[in-house]
Amino acid sequence: MLPENITAVVARNERWSGNAASEPHEAGWAREAVIFVRALKEPSGTQPTVHVEISPDGMRWIAEGTAAEMPSQKDGIAVLRVAHFGNWLRVAASFEDGAESTVLVTVHLKA
Amino acid sequence: MTLQQPTVDMAEALRLAMQRADPNLSRFDPLPRIISLDDFSRGHCGWSQLVGNYEDDLDTMLPGYAQHTGAMLSTLGHWDSGSHGGMDSSYALKIATRPKAGAQNVAIKRHTFRKRGPIRFEVYFTFKPEASELRLSETDVRSVGFLFDLQGGDRDGDGERVMPHLRFLNALDGEHAQKWQFKTETTPFKPIGSTDKTLSHYHLSPDDWRDLPAGGQRLCYNEIPTKVNWTYLCFDFDLETMKATGLRCNDREFDMTGFDSIRMPAMKNLWCMLNFCLFAETDVDKRAFLYVDSICISGDF
Repeated sequence: MLPENITAVVARNERWSGNAASEPHEAGWAREAVIFVRALKEPSGTQPTVHVEISPDGMRWIAEGTAAEMPSQKDGIAVLRVAHFGNWLRVAASFEDGAESTVLVTVHLKA
Repeated sequence: MTLQQPTVDMAEALRLAMQRADPNLSRFDPLPRIISLDDFSRGHCGWSQLVGNYEDDLDTMLPGYAQHTGAMLSTLGHWDSGSHGGMDSSYALKIATRPKAGAQNVAIKRHTFRKRGPIRFEVYFTFKPEASELRLSETDVRSVGFLFDLQGGDRDGDGERVMPHLRFLNALDGEHAQKWQFKTETTPFKPIGSTDKTLSHYHLSPDDWRDLPAGGQRLCYNEIPTKVNWTYLCFDFDLETMKATGLRCNDREFDMTGFDSIRMPAMKNLWCMLNFCLFAETDVDKRAFLYVDSICISGDF
């Protein structure tokens, strides 16, 4: 049987500002994940770094170490690649006051 | 010596014997033809995110659909006890709401049918809130449920789209309700975008749910949020008459004579549609999880 391989949309047309994060995604079956963060609209303000976060329980989150700059213009895409992430994954970013971005976050998982 | 007459014909006896000897099928009661057997140790099995309709801009999507996220393959991992696992594999499908009272999430499997006749939808499921508090939390999940989205063939002449909906209303505004409900109303169709080609309606709006007669049922809800027990559900529907013919949940069988579906005029592009949805709703600002161990969809055709 071919190994499992899934594209999951974890945030679609979400307006991110302040402390923003995607919903927790369980993917313990996957050995690797590639995460794309696309700006669906023209971002405003200084764009922060977006971090991959992992968790022991899906509720408490720790930076995994992988990070990228949030896209600075519409249709820009940030990419993050991770392995050895345990079971839960999400991405998070902290925006300055007045800054925001409307995002499409997709997680591409492979067993 | 006289030969004993068989009580069922040989083909049916063989079918039943083979089915009951198969560990993957033995816990189901499928109709003669299995349309799909979803065991989530083999992937998502076609259960995808229900995305709302839109045109030109995602902002046109109705908010009820915009909140949806993708279902996950879960081991039911818990902070206090580790992975719970499924019934006979490590995995189950997990449908999770966002942590906001009233939030919903829906997973969908999209087919079409070959023949209008009986179909059966069997599921082993359980539900729990996110274990973010050290208390029972038995009224935190508002409901879990399922719906079909059906339409006859293009030559059938009955011109209806039919959407049977059933939910187990676990709790509403903190009251532990524990009863089965159905609905016959959706919201008015709303044009999406500017070309008049795309419409949307919110059939899972919180309004218009009605109690299934004698539909109260106390399910097994184990004593902390991280203990789960699997529950059996079986729903029978006849595509020919477009009527529900049965609902069973564990040891209970419900009278469906008072049940009806959401009905609306046929749409111009949905002929022979056979869609199945599973959904969860939360009653509090906490994620609600619907876990599904396995699903057998069968028909008589």
